[in-house]
Amino acid sequence: MKRVAVVSTIYVHLKHTQHFIDRLLVGYPYGGEWIRPDVEVVSLYVDQRPEGDQSDDRAREYGFEIYSTIAEALRCGGDTLAVDGVLIIGEHGAYPSNEKGQKLYPRYEFFKQCVDVFEADGRSVPVYNDKHLSYSWARAEEMVEDSKRLGFPMLAGSSLPVTWRLPDLELEAECEIEEALMIGVGGSDAMDYHCLEAMQCMVERRKGGETGVKSVQLIEGDAVWRAGRDGVWSERLLEAALSRCDSPKGFPDEDGRTIDLFGSGELQQRVAKPAAYLIEYLDGTRATLLMLNGGIFDYCFAAMLKGDPEPVSTQFFVTPQPNVNYSASLVHKICEMLETGVSPIPVERTQIVSGMLEACLDSKMSGNQKRETEHLRVEYTGTEKPQHFCS
Amino acid sequence: MGTDGQEGRMSRLKIAAITTEYRKYSHTQHIVDRFLEGYGWEGRHHRPEMDIVSLYVDKRPEGDLSEERAERFPDMRVYRTVADALMLETNGLAVDGVLLIGEHGDYGLNEKGQRLYPRYELFKQVVAVFKASGRSVPVFNDKHLSWKWAWSKEMYDISREMGFAFMAGSSLPVTYRTPQIEFPYGAAVEEAVCVCYGGVDSYDFHGLETLQCMVERRQGGESGVKWVHAYRGDAFWEAFYDGVWSRDLVVSALCRSHTLKPARPGFNHTFPTVDEMKSLVEDPVAYVYEHVDGLLCTMLLMRGLVEDFNFAARMADGSKLSTQMYLPMPPARTTLANFFSPLVNNVEQMFLTGEETYPLERTLLTSGLTEAGVDSLHQGGERIETAHLEFSYMAPEASTFWRT
Repeated sequence: MKRVAVVSTIYVHLKHTQHFIDRLLVGYPYGGEWIRPDVEVVSLYVDQRPEGDQSDDRAREYGFEIYSTIAEALRCGGDTLAVDGVLIIGEHGAYPSNEKGQKLYPRYEFFKQCVDVFEADGRSVPVYNDKHLSYSWARAEEMVEDSKRLGFPMLAGSSLPVTWRLPDLELEAECEIEEALMIGVGGSDAMDYHCLEAMQCMVERRKGGETGVKSVQLIEGDAVWRAGRDGVWSERLLEAALSRCDSPKGFPDEDGRTIDLFGSGELQQRVAKPAAYLIEYLDGTRATLLMLNGGIFDYCFAAMLKGDPEPVSTQFFVTPQPNVNYSASLVHKICEMLETGVSPIPVERTQIVSGMLEACLDSKMSGNQKRETEHLRVEYTGTEKPQHFCS
Repeated sequence: MGTDGQEGRMSRLKIAAITTEYRKYSHTQHIVDRFLEGYGWEGRHHRPEMDIVSLYVDKRPEGDLSEERAERFPDMRVYRTVADALMLETNGLAVDGVLLIGEHGDYGLNEKGQRLYPRYELFKQVVAVFKASGRSVPVFNDKHLSWKWAWSKEMYDISREMGFAFMAGSSLPVTYRTPQIEFPYGAAVEEAVCVCYGGVDSYDFHGLETLQCMVERRQGGESGVKWVHAYRGDAFWEAFYDGVWSRDLVVSALCRSHTLKPARPGFNHTFPTVDEMKSLVEDPVAYVYEHVDGLLCTMLLMRGLVEDFNFAARMADGSKLSTQMYLPMPPARTTLANFFSPLVNNVEQMFLTGEETYPLERTLLTSGLTEAGVDSLHQGGERIETAHLEFSYMAPEASTFWRT
């Protein structure tokens, strides 16, 4: 039985901590069985206790302690590290945003306090960090360096890469990607992050692996459609991604009809403020995230592979509330890491996406200018086996 | 749409749509709209290589869309009779395929609670034109054939005697699956369940098709069904406790659901105890039935517990197989009922090739099973012997569900 400490911002119904930690307490569905993981939550640090706080109820029912500092939680009130893993869930809660619209969740601060304990006590354990590492590249980079320096496995990221795909598309390892495109909706810097990571989990499988990002640019408004016409991003890939969309807005809402959303011009009418996150990788690969608020309500991907006349495409299936089954897939990855001592997914994926997102928001702040991203020379290769829900 | 110019029209198939009603989210709207407007398919907005040229609607309720569609798609004319829609003001059959969509609409119920959709009656009118014209064309019948076995069987027999391709059924067999698995062809199976939701003479049919599209691929092929026994209310829970169907398989099926209602407030996903299930499920119904070769199947309607269709089977080698047939269901979760897309795509293939892509016998059997389940309930939970359902067929090996 692995003993874990949870370091969380808030523990409230339907927020990330509740989704994730409850699965460790009551189990979750995986592979057609209800899994009771071999993991025991022994301690909790919770940063804020808003209305609806569930931490005391859970602690009483499931017999773990709540500590007032992260160090105490990791040491379970003793004087040395007393857990086999740490889960940092710094999503949701009342935290300020900066001028770029980034919510200043204290993931880095939480993480550093864990690292302090590891260093002081001369032992490190696996760490899961929910969502992106930090809103700041420098901090995200430092977090990954710490894990490498101290030699503990680190898993991070979004549920989107590990959820069901409709259809079940996984790109071949070492495939040759000519161009990729992701479509999504939602606010920044929450949903654009999920979309970038979903796109990255596909693109990282390309020949030569990930070598880093050369430049990014975030454009908005009519410039997005102009860029499509100019071939800056592929209109063909947008059609392919939209072909996987179950929730186009507009006429389908009104009378149920199917629609060629882009070809008919409806998409351009419905999306008042489109945004394109243009990513140019060091090896020349291009990838684009289009945020299409008001036009759709799905998260879909398309890519043109070398030698194929037609693009491949799929939907990253955001399974319904309240189960949000996709979180079961990610919790299963956490349990795998605790069991094996190896992260099943490279943390560099989340590292590079953290940096891409920050750079895109910097581009937005600087009048939508292109930003060279020499700092994003992150090299890694994707996993050999699929890591998403597929069995 | 290929509607400009006679030449384009000549080379494209003409399809007639014979329907009960055309309103938002009726099956007619889902199916006919996909032919008219196209639909997302394999990376494109796919436009079928055929035109709906005629429409018959039996009823025009509030919200009727037939006129609006006919206006925007002038190649589709609305006719007042089924025969006119098939003959297009000529002396004989003038279309290359027929869609028969007799689902939804204000029709009466019989004493057993079956909705008396006029599929048989509409089918007979279609066939009358075929006979008078000395020619027949492929037909798709949405959902089960008829609420009455004798009529279902007659529809089947007519299609075989006259030799036209005839497909029918639900979209459950062809929609996405999570996970994307197929029942291994020729594998031996001991027991199967479908845990789903909805009402009698409605979603029960979809649950039965979910089961049948999987188990028909088993070793020896389909052998038919010997008896059906329905359970409802307290009898359902007694049977649950007694292990009339495998509780283990129900667990597997529920572990494929995306909509398992948490019994405890404040949690998002818990596995229910039987007592919790009892508190959540409204009007539980099970149809238990045994195939001629001994396979036991159970279709469970557990409205209030789940809102999706989940299949689980115990194979002869002791392994389990489970998946969800996923329906992107509007309006709560999506705007489009895209599970109709693979259904329409299969129908298009039949119209283009004249070949059925999956066996009509599947839906003949599930039509009979639906009626037998209703009969069993109507007789207070008596077991119904189903000698009429003891027929065999072989499913093709090729998969026809949505995976590309």
